[in-house]
Amino acid sequence: MVQVNNTPIVLRVKFFKKGSLQYISHLDLVRTMMKIIVRADLPLWYTEGFNPKPKLTFAAPLSTGTESECEFMDIRLTEKMDTDEALRRLNRNMTDNMQATEAYYPDNKFTSLAYLSYDVRIHTEGDAAELCERCKKTLSGEDITVVKKTKSGMADVNIKPLIKSFEVYTEGGDIALSLVLSADPSAFLNPELVIRALRERCGILSSGNLISEYYTIIRKEAFFADMTVFR
Amino acid sequence: MQNKNISSVLKSVEKPGRYTGGEYNSVIKDKKKVKCRFAFAFPDTYEIGMSNLGVRILYDVLNREDDIWCERVYAPWLDMAEKMREYSIPLSAHESGDSVKDFDLVGFSLQYEMCYTTALAMLKLADIPIYSKDRSESDPIILAGGPCVYNAEPVADFFDLINVGEGEEVLVEISRLYINMKENGSYSRDAFLRAAASIEGVYIPSLYEVSYNEDGTIKEYRPKYSDIPKKIRKRIIADLDKAPYPEKLVMPYIETVHDRIVLEVYRGCIRGCRFCQAGMVYRPIREKSPETLCKYAKCLYENTGYEEISLISLSISDYSELPRLTDGLLSWTDDAHVSLSLPSLRLDSFSEELMKKVSSVRQGGLTFAPEAGTQRLRDVINKNVTEEDLRRSMDIALRGGKNNVKLYFMNGLPTETLEDIEGIADTAKKVIECYFAIPKPERPKGGISVTISVSCFIPKPFTPFQWEKQDSFEMLEEKQKHLRECITDRRIRYTYHDAKVSRIEAVLARGDRRLAPAIALAVQEGAMFDAWDECFDYDRWIRVFEKCGIDPDFYTTRGFGLDEVLPWDIIDCGVTKQYLLRERKLAYEGKTTPSCAENCNGCGANKLGGKNKWCK
Repeated sequence: MVQVNNTPIVLRVKFFKKGSLQYISHLDLVRTMMKIIVRADLPLWYTEGFNPKPKLTFAAPLSTGTESECEFMDIRLTEKMDTDEALRRLNRNMTDNMQATEAYYPDNKFTSLAYLSYDVRIHTEGDAAELCERCKKTLSGEDITVVKKTKSGMADVNIKPLIKSFEVYTEGGDIALSLVLSADPSAFLNPELVIRALRERCGILSSGNLISEYYTIIRKEAFFADMTVFR
Repeated sequence: MQNKNISSVLKSVEKPGRYTGGEYNSVIKDKKKVKCRFAFAFPDTYEIGMSNLGVRILYDVLNREDDIWCERVYAPWLDMAEKMREYSIPLSAHESGDSVKDFDLVGFSLQYEMCYTTALAMLKLADIPIYSKDRSESDPIILAGGPCVYNAEPVADFFDLINVGEGEEVLVEISRLYINMKENGSYSRDAFLRAAASIEGVYIPSLYEVSYNEDGTIKEYRPKYSDIPKKIRKRIIADLDKAPYPEKLVMPYIETVHDRIVLEVYRGCIRGCRFCQAGMVYRPIREKSPETLCKYAKCLYENTGYEEISLISLSISDYSELPRLTDGLLSWTDDAHVSLSLPSLRLDSFSEELMKKVSSVRQGGLTFAPEAGTQRLRDVINKNVTEEDLRRSMDIALRGGKNNVKLYFMNGLPTETLEDIEGIADTAKKVIECYFAIPKPERPKGGISVTISVSCFIPKPFTPFQWEKQDSFEMLEEKQKHLRECITDRRIRYTYHDAKVSRIEAVLARGDRRLAPAIALAVQEGAMFDAWDECFDYDRWIRVFEKCGIDPDFYTTRGFGLDEVLPWDIIDCGVTKQYLLRERKLAYEGKTTPSCAENCNGCGANKLGGKNKWCK
């Protein structure tokens, strides 16, 4: 495998990461993907230097405990290959909870990804309809300030401007939220923070029992700044 | 993985990826078509258990059988264990998520004595009675195997069945017996265990009665029935080259301790270091061919995508076909960006050629084990390396750019004097001298750093030192202090093992069945993960020993009489007592014994058979 072409070709892969795989951290995902792309026997481009490695870049790292239907990674190849073939080879080397859904040669960078949408379900022992109303009221307010851990310690952050849109409703006795949140790296909003704000203000997930009250988060879709679907 | 929705529980614990399973290459079978559910339990964390070669091999062997489904079980870390108790979440297997209690056979891999409490804590989390005698017909059969079972007596009352020796064949035979007896209706716990006792390499502790002399020593082991063997002979795989070896590995999503391909090059050891249990109990030596190893390496690389292949055995440079093996591997590994690593190197057979083959760029360091600080003591323990070997190896290593040298030693070896302890510090100084003896342009930049790591000697069963006294922990701490005072050079880093841990480890390694209540009580009082410094509680151990009337000194500083019945005399590991006694005598005379490659020393392991080059 002699590397001739020094300019790598970027292949973008969209994949989902569900079920038990939500508990795999971003760092572990990167390590796992490294092995998957080696097993898939793609024409990988290796970095130069003492310790050559394939290069992978991911869009908007996902928090542990969040499922996703729209993850993106860019793989660097030495030559163009058929994208269907790439999909086939990748999926053969992944488990059911993580499969690639698209592979293509992109014309943009991850920096143009502006928003991400999420579906949240909160299983509660309380009155879902009443809690739902409270959540709606909180999210409609002008100021939703939470304490956030930043590089320079704890800081108060108003997350309201980072919420592009939201819907709150009840479904099957659960509280359901549809959120579109900022994915701009300088103003990234983690849906966990929204749940925390609601927990502090609306009394959701207040029983302290981790079995009878729980929540799930699924990342659904990615968007450009004009709210067209990111690709 | 679970019936209950435990997603919030998983979100509340550290590293939830330890508990979720679903790994690539893990084996899923149709429950309806399976006749025997086997849970392979590792009494330590997922990260450690996933790295264990024995588990990898036996998981593969059992799952080659269509009607047996082997799954993995690991010990939940303290935070998860607490949540499991709080919410009544039973211990479950990784593949199916089914409760361990519902399995047919549950096999524990006992790799080190300090994991005993973890194994019992796992049984409790699985809601299975910890004592064999308390289990009912609906409970699984609880097995144990691994290096600790060469003296499993301290935990013998907790296990229904013990597999002595290599498990590739025995575990399948045990499962087959289980399936047959279930199918023909003859199964009951007692009938099964009685029948299993006649499989070679199977030890059923409940079928023996142990009696004791007035002085507390063992009087005898008496089989309860005439058809039960008086001694249990260890099982080995006769032809290792043809033995099954996994072609796929379960790929962990989270980082594990040894996250790489491991090639087992041979079993056994030709050396015969007198303190080393592994070197005795894994005899006779049996090698695999370079062709077989190269075939597995390629196959494993394609099925895993790992970038590192580690060649393992007790002393890799003693492999008779090492050049052919490394050349065969290097013919493709460089192009595939795969590196080779060797975990164990001997000072007397380290060469420039070998160093260049094992890659290199990633680690700036090398590790050697002189074990003792003076030639006199190295001769006593039969570690046949000289100061000249050290100088030569260091010169090669340093010129090769390895300026981070780690040396392993032991404190408390038989006949050790203060001079031997000072010798450890001197040996480290010699490495630094080697560095400065190399002309400046040729030595590695950035100076030199030497780490000496000193453990405490534990007289292990089936070694020539099995009868020896262990130093008291006060004495060991004194010796550690003396060594610290001898080290004046800041380029020498000194680390050492906790002497108190070594004392408890010695009790558990050398103990007999009377320890069981104390171990059970320790678990009752919360002991788990004793192998982890942060979980080890010396005072708790001393407390439970006192409550159960056990004097730790009886098993440690007392030493064992040469004509005493030893707790592990029930096991025949191949090597004979006569040989161990001969070696012990030579140790006290300061005489060394040549390796098996030079001369057969008649250790007795050849009676076990096995294809190899050396045994007569």
